[in-house]
Amino acid sequence: MKTRVLLVDDEQQFVEQLSERLKIRDYDVSVCFSGEEAVENIRQYLYDVVILDVAMPGMDGNEVLKRIKQHRPLTEVIMLTGHATVESAIDGMKQGAFDYLMKPCDTEELVKKIHNAYQRKAEQEERIRAAKTERYSTSPWSALEDK
Amino acid sequence: MNQETEKTLAFFGRMTANLTHEFKNILAIIQESAGLMEDIMAISPLARDKYQERFNNSMNTIKNQLQRGMEMASRFNRFAHTPDHNSAELELGETMVHFCTLTERFARLKHITLQADSQKGQEIKITTNPLLLYMVLFYSLDACLSVLPAQCEIRLISAKKDENAAVKIACTGKQAPSPEQFFTGLRQSNAWGELENTAAQLNAELKCNTDDLCFYLILK
Repeated sequence: MKTRVLLVDDEQQFVEQLSERLKIRDYDVSVCFSGEEAVENIRQYLYDVVILDVAMPGMDGNEVLKRIKQHRPLTEVIMLTGHATVESAIDGMKQGAFDYLMKPCDTEELVKKIHNAYQRKAEQEERIRAAKTERYSTSPWSALEDK
Repeated sequence: MNQETEKTLAFFGRMTANLTHEFKNILAIIQESAGLMEDIMAISPLARDKYQERFNNSMNTIKNQLQRGMEMASRFNRFAHTPDHNSAELELGETMVHFCTLTERFARLKHITLQADSQKGQEIKITTNPLLLYMVLFYSLDACLSVLPAQCEIRLISAKKDENAAVKIACTGKQAPSPEQFFTGLRQSNAWGELENTAAQLNAELKCNTDDLCFYLILK
């Protein structure tokens, strides 16, 4: 299955060009142009990795990150920042972002980070699956509790 | 460093950070567009026809962003020259347009529209301190942005008031606060204190309308 990536930035042309480039690299890419739209999408659909701009009109990237972690704690987030300082990105890392990149970023570096973020998510999911399997084998009734 | 210099540097710092953020966005779009063209060129020649339109779109995007970047560089350059002279002749309406294009992003980040306007399109020439005028406009905008909710509009209108040149700062919006809440909020904001001090330095008078969301900056 292709890695599902959600790209969130208010700079529409940036989002369109980058999404094309990621599609050429065989990613399943969706796009949002605001934080509010991204939160709505995250509630409805599953994504493996979200690439999120920090400074957006309305709901900013750090607020979107909080909501993502509330609804989809396993979804990995890479923050994009246009600021010369890394403070906003560090805030994001404290809130659970996987990594950050300064804009404009090198696409190959971004692709590498998406790959690593996906790996971490896959490993987390595998650990959860293994823990559940172990629990079900020792206590079969717990499978019903999980439903 | 004295307090005045610190204040001026802080103002320049905020303006520069804002504009360089816009430059970074432009560069990011150019980079991705050029990168997409490179990707398309690397695809097998047989598949290139399929991507011809995207290739052309990327080329146009680069041209548009270069234009956007050049306009922004010119505006930034003009702004950077504001401290050159303590006194210069300016056309007020044109100065409002220039200020609004420089600071539009601050408003956009709060989903607020910022617009320059002139009374009946009349030309108003003033001789003033350009740097202090920009600072006063900036603090006016900053104070309004701290009070207004999203979807409101701020208009900076160059006008004549009692024979003096003036800037009318008028705010509107369905969700806008009442005039009482608006002015209480303004006076409690940090920017309002800076505005009063800088307006005094500029020898400008602040006049508030109490029955709507508008105040005047009268340049004497």
